[in-house]
Amino acid sequence: MRRLLIRLAAGTVFVAATACGSSDSSGSGGEEKGSGGTTTVKVGVVPVMDVAPLYLGQKQGFYSKRGIKLETSLAQGGAAVVPGVVSGQFQFGFSNTTSLLVAQSKNVPVKAVANGASSTAKDGADFAGLTVKKGSPFTSAKQLEGKKAAVNTLNNICDTSIRESVRKDGGDPSKVEFVEMPFDQMPAALDRGQVDGACTPEPALATVKAAGGKSIASIFYDVDPNLTVAMYFTSQQYAQKNPDVVKRFQEATAESLKYADSHPDEVRQILTTYTKIPDTLLDTLTLPRWPAEPDRDSIERLTELGVQDGLFTEAPDLDKLLP
Amino acid sequence: MKDGQTDGQRDRQTDGQLDDTGPGPTSPPRAERPAAANAALGAAGIVGFLALCEAVSRFGIVSGDYFPPLTRVADALVTELGDRAFWTALGDTLTGWALGLAIAVTAGILAGVVIAVVPFLREATASTIEFLRPIPSVALIPLAVLLYGSELRSVLLLVVYASFWQMLIQVLYGVQDVDPVAEETARSYGLGTWARVRHVLWPTALPYVMTGVRLAAAVALILAVTAELVIGAPGLGQRIAVAQTSQAVPEMYALVVVTGVLGLLINVGARAVERRALAWHQSVRGEVVV
Repeated sequence: MRRLLIRLAAGTVFVAATACGSSDSSGSGGEEKGSGGTTTVKVGVVPVMDVAPLYLGQKQGFYSKRGIKLETSLAQGGAAVVPGVVSGQFQFGFSNTTSLLVAQSKNVPVKAVANGASSTAKDGADFAGLTVKKGSPFTSAKQLEGKKAAVNTLNNICDTSIRESVRKDGGDPSKVEFVEMPFDQMPAALDRGQVDGACTPEPALATVKAAGGKSIASIFYDVDPNLTVAMYFTSQQYAQKNPDVVKRFQEATAESLKYADSHPDEVRQILTTYTKIPDTLLDTLTLPRWPAEPDRDSIERLTELGVQDGLFTEAPDLDKLLP
Repeated sequence: MKDGQTDGQRDRQTDGQLDDTGPGPTSPPRAERPAAANAALGAAGIVGFLALCEAVSRFGIVSGDYFPPLTRVADALVTELGDRAFWTALGDTLTGWALGLAIAVTAGILAGVVIAVVPFLREATASTIEFLRPIPSVALIPLAVLLYGSELRSVLLLVVYASFWQMLIQVLYGVQDVDPVAEETARSYGLGTWARVRHVLWPTALPYVMTGVRLAAAVALILAVTAELVIGAPGLGQRIAVAQTSQAVPEMYALVVVTGVLGLLINVGARAVERRALAWHQSVRGEVVV
């Protein structure tokens, strides 16, 4: 029996060792350099409307003509994108501005490289809003005092913005109770009265409107009419090691953003390729604005509000974060 | 019906080995009637369930916008089945499932046998295993993303972690179940190490191993879909997530139905493998005869 044991043990140790070895050696993949001077970059994105310019630019060849082969990787929310970029699994990522500010304030080495999506600068016609259900008695943000509002992530851009809307409306933002739920569940939660208001971007916003609900405050507009809601970013290490790739990515993204901004029909078309937004909603979507550059003033305003709400233990350093 | 036939075949195969149990004339009628009744009951259950799903939204118990009637889900399902990307996603999910399960089963058997037969190791690992085992695999998602990003390997990490413990625990019990008398007998007949593993240890542990495989197969599927859903690795889970964020409710439920059917098939398959591998074993024989 003893001899049997020893042999079995030896076999297992061997298998375990080889298994570990193989996974380690291949674990650091995702590096660049392809054939003919083409660099393959992986971009971690969320399957939302905001990243349409990236897909559009890819289709239009804005990246390939600069020697960048774009590989988009769909992740569920920024929670997966930020660690993916920092650990080098993705070379670039897409995240909302507050998440990046929080990361920077914690000294996570993130570096914004391009604008992601911006508020439409039109009050009452933004791509996200504080929504209420059909027949709701609430008509302005202030009335949410003592009520429940749904946000996708607590202590992030949604609750900061809703607080600002309530504040601007003359209410006390500390009296709003926030609950966390995914965007896609908000229309149903509003309908059933589980929450009184919700931070809904498109396409959930279109669903709410289709069900007879409405937006009572343009929360991003209330923070700043030109608010940079999200940005593309990379890691500090990657930016330092590959300034040339970053520069080409920035140029290509700027061109893509500009193109998307002036071709809304093509944006709606490209949406059908990477999302499943139903045709009935597609035409009613309010698209964000896609200026080429992040708006620094608006990000400073968002930072101030974040500090006020206690999102950061230390204020983020915008000079380190922004391009 | 098919089931009944295979049972019958095995009945005959095993006949020679069991002289005392006499699966004679009493078994066919008793086995057949419940099978027909079972099939009818099963069909009635499914029809009832489907009707309930349809009714719940048709009569406005829940809003049809958020829980669409079955007919709309079926519609979306047909569209899905015609989409090449759907089949790619299905393949991705099955790859993650199969690879993860294979790794977990192999590692579970090897580790389980070694730990179970070395008393020292068993003592040393008992508390560690009990500590690691209840950690939910999904809690490791941040680690998986950090190590492997949103790729197959992060799915594998979660799948293997979840199904490995199912295997390991079963194997531990299985190996401990070896009859010392049988082991000593084999030894005194001069059976070598591998012969004893083959003829004493393995047959004793096999029923446990098969139970482990069946449990692990189901857990592996759940974790494969969950990982894709949460991390965004390619597969059915990712498609569900995209449908969710796109407010494409019927499509989402259509994909959910697909994962359910997949789970059903995997369970049926695992049971078939189990019966075949344990055709000689009392538990399976018992199922046929009684």
